Amino acid sequence: MGKVTAGSAASIKPGKFIKNNFVIIAFILIFIFSCFATPVFLTVSNITTVLIQNSIYAICALGMLMIIITGGIDLSVGSYVYICVCLTAGFIQDGMGVAAILVVAVMSMLFGCVTGVLVAYAKVAPFIVTLAMTSILKGLAYMYQVGESRRIDGTYWPEFIQGSILYIPTPIFIMVVVFLIVLFILNKTKFGRGLYAIGGNAETARLAGVNVKRYLVMVYAIGGFLFGLAGMILAGRLSMGTATVGDGYELDAIASVVIGGASLAGGTGSTTKTLIGAFLMGILLNVMNLLGIASYPQMVFKGIIIVVAVLANRND
Amino acid sequence: MEYAVEMKHITKAFSGVKAIDDVTFQVGKGEIHALIGENGAGKSTLMNVLSGTFSYHSYEGSVLVNGKEMKCSVPGDANQHGVVMVHQELALIPEISVAENVFLGHLPRNYTGVDWKKIYTDAKEVLGKLSLDVDVKTKVKYLSVGQQQLVEIAKAIMLGGKILILDEPTAPLTDRETDVLFRILNDLKKEGITIIFITHRLEEVFRLTDRVSVMRDGKMITTKPTSELTADTLVSYMIGREMKNMYPSDVTEKGELIFEIKNYSVEHPEYAGKKIVDNVSMKFYKGEIVGISGLLGAGRTELMMAVTGSYRKKGTGSIFLEGKEVVINNPKQAIRKGIGFVTEDRKGNGLILDQSLSFNISLASLDQIEKNHILSRKKETATAGRFLKELKIKAQGASVPAKSLSGGNQQKVVLAKWLAVDPVILILDEPTRGVDVGAKYEIYSIMKALAKEGVSIIMISSDLPEVIGMSDRVYVMSEGRVTGELEKSELSEETIMRYATDSARVREESTWVK
Repeated sequence: MGKVTAGSAASIKPGKFIKNNFVIIAFILIFIFSCFATPVFLTVSNITTVLIQNSIYAICALGMLMIIITGGIDLSVGSYVYICVCLTAGFIQDGMGVAAILVVAVMSMLFGCVTGVLVAYAKVAPFIVTLAMTSILKGLAYMYQVGESRRIDGTYWPEFIQGSILYIPTPIFIMVVVFLIVLFILNKTKFGRGLYAIGGNAETARLAGVNVKRYLVMVYAIGGFLFGLAGMILAGRLSMGTATVGDGYELDAIASVVIGGASLAGGTGSTTKTLIGAFLMGILLNVMNLLGIASYPQMVFKGIIIVVAVLANRND
Repeated sequence: MEYAVEMKHITKAFSGVKAIDDVTFQVGKGEIHALIGENGAGKSTLMNVLSGTFSYHSYEGSVLVNGKEMKCSVPGDANQHGVVMVHQELALIPEISVAENVFLGHLPRNYTGVDWKKIYTDAKEVLGKLSLDVDVKTKVKYLSVGQQQLVEIAKAIMLGGKILILDEPTAPLTDRETDVLFRILNDLKKEGITIIFITHRLEEVFRLTDRVSVMRDGKMITTKPTSELTADTLVSYMIGREMKNMYPSDVTEKGELIFEIKNYSVEHPEYAGKKIVDNVSMKFYKGEIVGISGLLGAGRTELMMAVTGSYRKKGTGSIFLEGKEVVINNPKQAIRKGIGFVTEDRKGNGLILDQSLSFNISLASLDQIEKNHILSRKKETATAGRFLKELKIKAQGASVPAKSLSGGNQQKVVLAKWLAVDPVILILDEPTRGVDVGAKYEIYSIMKALAKEGVSIIMISSDLPEVIGMSDRVYVMSEGRVTGELEKSELSEETIMRYATDSARVREESTWVK
């Protein structure tokens, strides 16, 4: 307001710079700290482990990011992981071969579509819909699993996941590809632009010709696919199907997105910063493990990091 | 003259940008002093300095109240000097009584706790002085906005206010409530209370105030006795140039018929069986500005939203574009057919406030900057830059968020968004509501220029001078029906109001519509 003095736009305040890039700065600081804290940290094998372990979380976080940008949320990430781990192993055991992967991918996308249709057309709050989906998918996973673990050692899928592509361990490779695709969608496409618009003001978006309902269904389907993909990778890493992994994945995913500076109110969020947010948590947990800190204090630290990040990212 | 307030050489900057620049402002004791200027001229900043919102460290210059220097560290300090500001947004608590609100934060106490007796008798007394006839034990939420405004003033007086700053107090009031308020302000003046009155309505300046100060671009332009001024000179002080006419006078040529609505009806969204738009037929020509007038709730917005596929209820009837019947089910189809709709509520559905200007400007025309679903940033920036220049949008660049702009500039951004779709028909709903005088004129000029290029302009407006000044032809609506169609030569406020209020005419002459 008022008179705009020439040249005032050019000066960027250091405080604002730190605020805008908080997650990057925090990541670098934690990384440097970790290097000095323990000699084991900065070794090829440890870094590789961290990357492989966290690629699953990162994929979930990227799916969550797209949903959060629209002002939505998906609480059923863990349940997608449950059911997709079970189905992947089960279908492979049943001798479906490569088709197993395709079928699971399509199924996870369909689950996402169901969520999306309920959110967009039935106008049920995403929190409620995905809470229900959490229960439904988990229940289905247990029904399918009937208490047994299905081993798939020696089949093509664990071999693929535990192997590497172009000298890069497969999970990391997949994560990088997912990252690039999400980055491209959010920054370069009409669809991505529409997602930001919906989160910013859905009514403005609708009146400007954005197909809000279809976009919402699509974003939950894409999210579902990515959560399912995380489950498939996990099945490969474990070489078995078990309905015991996946607990709390949604919270880790939400935390990564929020640490990356997105607002749960929607309309904002960065792909790169979300990825860094996911690995920030990963490194922190890794270094705490290396320092021999027990798992309960680790949980406390994790919580503190989330609060600090939210405070640092807050506008004004 | 003895001064109640003397502000000398005040300069206040926000992150390097001077909001007010070397402003000197003097208010005489016991006068009603108008402070006017366009949005963003610096009025609020100046008054925030006076009312102690900013600590005395954060600005340059000095403030004297009744000859004594005032240095405020916290907002309450100004109250000690008798300066109280009544803000535009009422700060009352709706769920507690009128009396408690009057004493909010300063409840008198006795040895048992709160002295309720004193609260009620004192509140009654002060409300009596303001001739506000309500039970002091009533909850504030049951009061009208006008009554609440008076409670705010009572609160200010109880705080010991000798210098009251009223920020656009009449904005939410009806004409009758305004009359009451003005009578009371004149009474307060007789008691020696000084009043600084911020307003956008020029007629109020002439009705109420003794002297006027005009601000523009953070500077004090002039202070003069009201009696020496006319509305035209005031406006020229506000915008910094002569303004002979509020409306550009360019004549445009009426082209061929482009858009026709035939026997169009829309069900009422709440009452089954009732119609919010009832059998409306309208014709629009290229290069013509058509005003759609009527009272609130006449169905004007609903009609236009329904024909563009934006309304929650679907309409019945037919729509013709260049002679061909078309079906429009959603805003996207309307945009593809070249219909733009500048909606009324720019914050509610016109802008995405947190996003940049270029994001907002390109939102409706993404089809034009994409190829195979991939957006071209280059094209986007170029388009945004072009509109910032063409529409004279005051901003530090296309990447600043829309929320950082003033109302008039925000409105221009919404306009730019719709111009970017290259509309053949542009619908504008209350295009200049909450927009300052200078920006208004620019928006009018843009509308005229578009009409000249052959765009068919449909303007929904409740502002009668605007309708008369801008329209080539006017449809008047009442209770969902068209009650009148007036050519430019027939336009007058009386005629329009007669059609807008004459619902009997609807029943008698339901076949009147051509």
